[in-house]
Amino acid sequence: MLDMQHISKVYRTELVETHALRDLNLTVAEGEFVAVTGPSGSGKTTFLNIAGLLESADGGHYRLDGVDVGSLGDDARARIRNQKIGFIFQGFNLIPDLDVFDNVDVPLRYRGFAARERRARIERALELVGLAARQRHLPSQLSGGQQQRVAIARAIAGEPRFLLADEPTGNLDSLMARQIMDLLGEINRSGTTIVLVTHDPELARRAHRNIHVMDGEVTDLKPFAPRPAGAPVAVA
Amino acid sequence: MDIRPILSALLRNRTGAVLVGVQVAITLAVIANAFFVIAKRLELVHRPSGNDSANLIFVQSEGYGPEYQHVATMRADLALLRALPGVVAAAPSSSVPESDGGSSSGYLTSPDPKAPVTNANVMEVDPAFLDAYGLKLVAGRKFRPEEYVAEPANNDLPPLVMISESMAKRLYGDAPAVGRPVYDNGGKQGTIIGVVSDMLGSWPRNVRPGPYDIVYHATGGLGRSWRYVVRARLGERDRLIPEIEKRLNEIGNGRAVTWVRPHDFWLLRTFRPDRRMIVFLTTLVVMMTSVTALGIVGLATFHVNARRKQIGTRRALGARRADIVHYFLIENGLLSLAGIVTGALLAWAASGWLASAFQTPPLPAGYVGLAALALLVLGQLAVLWPARRAGAIEPAVATRTL
Ligand SMILES: Nc1ncnc2c1ncn2[C@@H]1O[C@H](COP(=O)(O)OP(=O)(O)OP(=O)(O)O)[C@@H](O)[C@H]1O
Ligand SMILES: [Mg+2]
Repeated sequence: MLDMQHISKVYRTELVETHALRDLNLTVAEGEFVAVTGPSGSGKTTFLNIAGLLESADGGHYRLDGVDVGSLGDDARARIRNQKIGFIFQGFNLIPDLDVFDNVDVPLRYRGFAARERRARIERALELVGLAARQRHLPSQLSGGQQQRVAIARAIAGEPRFLLADEPTGNLDSLMARQIMDLLGEINRSGTTIVLVTHDPELARRAHRNIHVMDGEVTDLKPFAPRPAGAPVAVA
Repeated sequence: MDIRPILSALLRNRTGAVLVGVQVAITLAVIANAFFVIAKRLELVHRPSGNDSANLIFVQSEGYGPEYQHVATMRADLALLRALPGVVAAAPSSSVPESDGGSSSGYLTSPDPKAPVTNANVMEVDPAFLDAYGLKLVAGRKFRPEEYVAEPANNDLPPLVMISESMAKRLYGDAPAVGRPVYDNGGKQGTIIGVVSDMLGSWPRNVRPGPYDIVYHATGGLGRSWRYVVRARLGERDRLIPEIEKRLNEIGNGRAVTWVRPHDFWLLRTFRPDRRMIVFLTTLVVMMTSVTALGIVGLATFHVNARRKQIGTRRALGARRADIVHYFLIENGLLSLAGIVTGALLAWAASGWLASAFQTPPLPAGYVGLAALALLVLGQLAVLWPARRAGAIEPAVATRTL
């Protein structure tokens, strides 16, 4: 599903060069739920941005779903983000001027779906996250946990193969965080590959596999362990 | 495309949008009316003279001494002018066309003094005037030399007149005017012997008499002051002007040449207010549209900066650069359209008020349409720059900005 070889990323400002990633190697199989941990500034977000085609690597090879994405143009990358990848952000990133329904609609419109199909997908996604009754609420009228559930609905409404989440529970209390993790687990069980960045080892333990990043490199590849609940896992 | 969510987002951020919309509306109302006035003034300035204006010279002579003999001096002057190399033709002419100065008189088609009166510009000329002005005989015949009365006893209607085509139409419509009578308001009768191609008379802006309504009398004047029209060969006009002044002054006889001027002198003077109005209104249009364009750039730039994270998020969710640019073009298009509709109503109201207060003609819809189109195009061009900056926002902004 995801195959990164010798990925590097350097940020240059006038004063300093930051090697955010150096020689990062990682493969993620279809259906996996991977948690990425690491200290602040270790390059987790940079890794996730490159994985989600929000940024390009400076060196190395990245194949996503068999496609060498390093050579693609801007529009082609946008299409892959739109169709294959779902994003969940720490700050939810809902559009404040649009209601819940329209927020979930955003990527579907870029996808070019017809109105009827969009409506069906939006209703299904909101149903799944338990917010079917809040379609016409504005983000400011929802709690943090509810907002993140809307963001999750937005990420999965297009049925992406691959879900990326950067500290999705970082702004939530532990109860809400657990609800979000339950939701992600459920989504993973339905076949979606998930890569989750988190500070919280408690949450990381709920994934199939933990990856520790330090100074832009994967330091500690824990073996692929069966999930405790014994639920079925799809591995490609 | 995606108009509804753009509109609902716009309606949730009304303040700036309303200000710019009002600006567009006021600009539309002003420039639609300005376009109309400019078009009318341009038409006035560029209306065909009908004569050989570029080659015409006008001369004024003033008798002052006791020895001055009007008829003899005129005869000598005309002989001299006609013999000058570079002169095509010359004739006496009581007034200068398009100079805003001249005389007019009322004409009737019936001796009944209660019959409708048609006003016309009266020009006293001699039989050479068609060549001197560069006019064409349209119907009938020209004055014969023996029909010219150098010293008429009074200002009454002479027995034979020539009239312009426009005047013929006013008096007799489409029926032939040659051979038909005209009367003055004292019941005195004259006969129309010829119809002359139209030229602008003394008052190019007037409604009564109409600008092309002229009656030509083959008479000399009663006073000591007189004018000639001289038609120069192409390229000879400016050389002839000082020459004419010098040669006529040599004839002397108790008179002075008060001026010798090209026809342009009066055209410039008569149409100066119109030209000034055109320049003023054009400047106003440019300034107002520039300020509106700046307002649009300012609002769009503000929106782009305030929505950086949102734009990055949209890019992360799959928007192409073009989708982001389109978003701002559509947003501005909606805003402009709302302003334009308001402005069109405003323009109509303003024009209606002007029409009733100053008897100006009502604003034709075409000018509102033209102004609307101009503003829409200008607005989209203005928003293009901030919109492209929005399109350049990186998708990584979604994860890097809090
Ligand atoms: N746009 C940028 N320009 C310059 N340096 C950057 C930029 N983005 C990230 N960095 C630097 O790259 C390094 C890795 O940053 P990254 O955001 O990937 O860390 P992180 O592991 O996500 O940290 P955190 O846990 O605090 O979110 C850091 O040193 C950071 O300062
Ligand atoms: Mg981070």
